[in-house]
Amino acid sequence: SKPLAGTADLDTLLGKNYGALRDIVINANPSHPPLSLLVLHCLLRKRFHVLSTVHVHSSVSNVPPHLLACFEEQDKNQSRHDFQLGFTLIWKDVPTPQMKFSIQNMCPIEGEGNIARFLFALLGQQQDPITATLVDSWIDMAIFQLGQGSSKEKVAVLRTINAALGRSPWLVGANRSLADIVTCCVVLQAAGPVAIPANVQKWMKSCENLPEFNGVYKLLQ
Amino acid sequence: MTKEENNGAAEELQIQSKKALKKQQKEAEKAAKKADKQAKLAAEQQTTSEEDFAKDRYGQPAMVQSQQKPDRVLVRIQDLTPEKADQLVWVRARIHTSRAKGKQCFLVLRHQQFNVQALVAVGDRASKQMVKFAANINKESIVDVEGVVRKVDQKIESCTQQDVELHIEKIFVISLAEPRLPLQLEDAVRPDGAGDEEGRATVNQDTRLDNRVIDLRTTTSQAVFRLQSGICHLFRDTLIKKGFVEIQTPKIISAASEGGANVFTVSYFKTSAYLAQSPQLYKQMCICADFEKVFCIGPVFRAEDSNTHRHLTEFVGLDIEMAFNYHYHEVVDQIADTMVQIFKGLRDNFTTEIETVNKQYPSEPFKFLEPTLRLEYKEGVAMLREAGIEMGDEEDLSTPNEKLLGRLVKEKYDTDFYILDKYPLAVRPFYTMPDPSNAKYSNSYDMFMRGEEILSGAQRIHDPDLLTERAIHHNIDLEKIKAYIDSFRYGAPPHAGGGIGLERVTMLYLGLHNVRQTSMFPRDPKRLTP
Repeated sequence: SKPLAGTADLDTLLGKNYGALRDIVINANPSHPPLSLLVLHCLLRKRFHVLSTVHVHSSVSNVPPHLLACFEEQDKNQSRHDFQLGFTLIWKDVPTPQMKFSIQNMCPIEGEGNIARFLFALLGQQQDPITATLVDSWIDMAIFQLGQGSSKEKVAVLRTINAALGRSPWLVGANRSLADIVTCCVVLQAAGPVAIPANVQKWMKSCENLPEFNGVYKLLQ
Repeated sequence: MTKEENNGAAEELQIQSKKALKKQQKEAEKAAKKADKQAKLAAEQQTTSEEDFAKDRYGQPAMVQSQQKPDRVLVRIQDLTPEKADQLVWVRARIHTSRAKGKQCFLVLRHQQFNVQALVAVGDRASKQMVKFAANINKESIVDVEGVVRKVDQKIESCTQQDVELHIEKIFVISLAEPRLPLQLEDAVRPDGAGDEEGRATVNQDTRLDNRVIDLRTTTSQAVFRLQSGICHLFRDTLIKKGFVEIQTPKIISAASEGGANVFTVSYFKTSAYLAQSPQLYKQMCICADFEKVFCIGPVFRAEDSNTHRHLTEFVGLDIEMAFNYHYHEVVDQIADTMVQIFKGLRDNFTTEIETVNKQYPSEPFKFLEPTLRLEYKEGVAMLREAGIEMGDEEDLSTPNEKLLGRLVKEKYDTDFYILDKYPLAVRPFYTMPDPSNAKYSNSYDMFMRGEEILSGAQRIHDPDLLTERAIHHNIDLEKIKAYIDSFRYGAPPHAGGGIGLERVTMLYLGLHNVRQTSMFPRDPKRLTP
């Protein structure tokens, strides 16, 4: 079969190819689905030929059906080695999302933010150091202060986001970045009873209108 | 001179008389002791014959020859709970241990994997003689006991029924065991290594197997074989729900089903026959006879002269064969789901048994994914190469590589159960269907538990011409398999299947190290008894 577009990029990004599917394994707790990773999965699918599968680990039972059907139907006639990337989501009893990729060279990567950074890097967008650092700091703020903080902290972060969105349509620069994806997903999941300011509401609408956000609603039922 | 002599004689006399005196004294003492003892004995006899008010409450009654049908409810030991406190109950159990201490005797009564502490104490219900009788019952004897269930203040750590004890009022020996046991049950359940530290004995495998009946009484064995029965039950239950039909196939066959080697030959009147290596042929014939989905649980024989931890010459095979519509993955998914249902059933219904086995043989809980992880052979080879193993594309997996791959898969996916699909055609039997997109590969699969193969399966060739071609390729004498090939000539549906070994599944599920531990009466090249 002829090499598919993007395979060469994957070789430069990920190193030696051993002639088989490169499978990304993500362990996530069904009580706290990692929404941003689903958005990134959607983006990966646009660029690569991705084999997506969902499993339930024996450490959890009674996973709701909408979490089992979180990926769109795939062409069943292709065998595993026809794909460039594997995206294997395992619902498992883990305290924080975890990614396992190349077990020989990489330690497992912990945390939704870190996994999101890795997946986004596979899309091959170049960023200057200032933008990259800004994106990183938004992600940290979203995951730790908004996602895990007290309601006081949450209000403060939402105010900061609101202010930033008053200056530009997206959090960093003129286009949608990883910062928007992760932050928006955390707001969707974590804001709860806290009131969402006007700019943030508008921005969330724009995020939700992006096609890559389609999968998120399935998880939010 | 004479004086001296006299003196000497007198001295001698004195010495003699001293000795004699001592002797006499000793004898007198002895006699006194004897008299004392006799008196005591007589007194005891008197008490036994005269004062034993409890002599109807113990003893060894006549052999149970079904003389009577008493209205007596025998309560099971596992049901002796605080809810039964202060009730008078009858129990039938074995004497696990007994310990007499003055006017009391503590017994541990055992039934299957459960035990309870029981107590006989001199009082208005039991006499001194009764306590003595209870203390002297040989270990492993079966007794009928009537007693009152009493709550205890402190948990009894050594028993399964920790919150209650049984105050015995009557005790009868139903079956007396011989005083000396070939192995001690406590020694047989001691975890490996624990014996070395405390200088206590452990029992080696062969001694256990030589005295299997006693070894099977241990809590560990009880749990292992109860769980094994559970596997069979879950296998049947799941498949029948999926619309399968259970079949029985002959074990005496006229031709070897999988190659000529490794078969037992039996004399069959004027000719010879073989013991079946697998019900393969018959399963496939049932498919051709429109049974669509069949399974079969029965003995399978392998005359391999290998003495390893995972080979037996006779084992129980759980075999599946199923006709499918368009893709053999329909069958793979069904088999994998059956295994997952078994694992789930064991996880949810056999917690006690798993814990019991873990006490002696600690192992990590069995992990799996649903749906089951299915990797392709190519991916497996790639994982091994990444880990530094050099192997060819079409090379078969060696046992060490198989185990290493199991470890790699566990590390990445955290599952002890996975499927390896699309094996190279060259390493599979002649009836394996080739892969349509790559002739080097085949529609065949293995399933692994804790890195060891438990199932080998494939889509079978249902076309007689292709089957003939593949048989010729494998240099198989067509005359010998004529009947097999002919069964596909009159319309045969596409089908696939596989077979697993019950003992291996039990062993690997529990993380045990030797398949003999999960075979009730194992058969290997060196063992034909018991």
